[in-house]
Amino acid sequence: MGRKIDDLFSGLGRVMNGFIICFLIIPLVVTSLMAFDARPYLGPLPPPALSTRWFSKFFSDDYFLRGLGVSLELALISVCLSVCIGVITAVALDRSNSRARELMTSLFLSPLIVPPVVTGFAILIFLSKLGVVNGFARLLCGHLIITIPYTIRATLNGVLGIDKSLTEAALTLGARERHAFWDITFPLARTGILCGGIFAFVVSLDDVAISIMLTDAKTYTLPVALVSSMRANFDLTLAAVSVLLMGLTLALIFVLEKTVGLNQIIGQGTFR
Amino acid sequence: MKRAPSIFFYLPASVVFSVFFWLPLGGLLLESFRPFTPGRIGAVSDAPLTLANYEELLTPSFLEFFMQTLRISLFASLVGLVFSFTLAYWITRRMSPRGRAIAVGFFVSLMFLSVLVRTYALELTFGAAGPFRAILLSFGVYPNSRGYIEVLVAAGLLHYIVPLATLTLLTTIQNVDPRLFDAAQTLGAPGWRAHLSVTLPLCRDGLLAAFLFSFAFSISAFVIPMILGKGRVLFVSNLIYNRFSEIADFPSGAAISAVLFAVSITIVYLTTRYVNRREAG
Repeated sequence: MGRKIDDLFSGLGRVMNGFIICFLIIPLVVTSLMAFDARPYLGPLPPPALSTRWFSKFFSDDYFLRGLGVSLELALISVCLSVCIGVITAVALDRSNSRARELMTSLFLSPLIVPPVVTGFAILIFLSKLGVVNGFARLLCGHLIITIPYTIRATLNGVLGIDKSLTEAALTLGARERHAFWDITFPLARTGILCGGIFAFVVSLDDVAISIMLTDAKTYTLPVALVSSMRANFDLTLAAVSVLLMGLTLALIFVLEKTVGLNQIIGQGTFR
Repeated sequence: MKRAPSIFFYLPASVVFSVFFWLPLGGLLLESFRPFTPGRIGAVSDAPLTLANYEELLTPSFLEFFMQTLRISLFASLVGLVFSFTLAYWITRRMSPRGRAIAVGFFVSLMFLSVLVRTYALELTFGAAGPFRAILLSFGVYPNSRGYIEVLVAAGLLHYIVPLATLTLLTTIQNVDPRLFDAAQTLGAPGWRAHLSVTLPLCRDGLLAAFLFSFAFSISAFVIPMILGKGRVLFVSNLIYNRFSEIADFPSGAAISAVLFAVSITIVYLTTRYVNRREAG
């Protein structure tokens, strides 16, 4: 009797796992197929003929290209600034005693727990009171707030793992503090810093909720452009953009796997 | 050997966070107590303080938005928890190391994939104009019905929740000694009993943390309900955006933001408090 119930549950579990994996994959496969659809309208699957018309349409669309330009520029500047701030802050956290470290870490990670729309709205009201109307400056403020927590956390993970006696040895042997940082701390924390940078890049490139509040008529990010054209009409150019973004994700995952190792990102348990 | 004080290194982040995060949040709270002047962007700065914006939130039509957000979020988080636990258990205990590495790679890739792309993919696939339209109609499901749209929004949330919760629970299950389960079975418990009285209780903290993460993510979701809800299912986040974009009612948007903020903070507080207390004890 017990065995039968066990078999039933284990079979049920398998079916459920198969179902959920299909649910996760099928939309991505359908989108990839539709992106190469040669028909000018939304038709049933599979597409009778393939073409790259939607890709060429994307690359000749000024509205999207402008958004892509702003998004890339914004992401690169946000990543550079937030990596620098993240490294400096991680060094400060590393030097503080554990009480101060805990308090400051939770302060600096707090943007992760505030709903992004609330953050965006708060920055919008604040900057409009100050009279800052430049779209790019406003976007940069918003993106810094959501990227810095990731760079601080990832860098701190890297810095805390370094044996303190290495730095102390260098300082005892007469190295200046700056040298000790560049020759010891920085190279050892490099993977953490890289990891934080990649996280920051992904977060900045994907954000909608904050950016949609802070854009102006001429400065908007690609996701905001995509959302507004998604609501207007259902055009397969968006499927083509999705395929490009999936490719970018795979490339980033490849870099992460080669440099950091994906297991490092999620951590490991004891009994595996 | 002289070391620069660490206060100095805290400066850049502290300045950025104070000016672009803490001050704006304070300003938002203040704005929520200002009266709304139609046609004016932002409240008059020396207007008297009022609770009118919060009173408005207690009307049934507003409460309905909050309830709708909580209901769909709760549904998605609970379903996601069941799915993720089954997946995580299967990956940890039934798969070869190679299969496990592939599964982890798959879920991490999904986590990195743009939420917008996933939402669009779901709309394209299961939406009213999608390739499954005929199949849905033959089952008597109307893709434009309210019930179906609610399920679609929950599906959008699940597409994010499942990879996140599975990766969280993977570590949890890896920390449960499988020999305890074997011992229960040797002592005569059938597999399902052994799981119910050994595996699940040992995973309680991980399950709770995964649930609260999912729930906190869901109630502050913005893009997913915006695209998949088609204006018929609105989450609180969408309401805040509409207050801003449609009628420029900043004080009311600020009041809704303050409430959403309070709810999110409470959930996070419960998570850290409950999970940490159990770890300490």
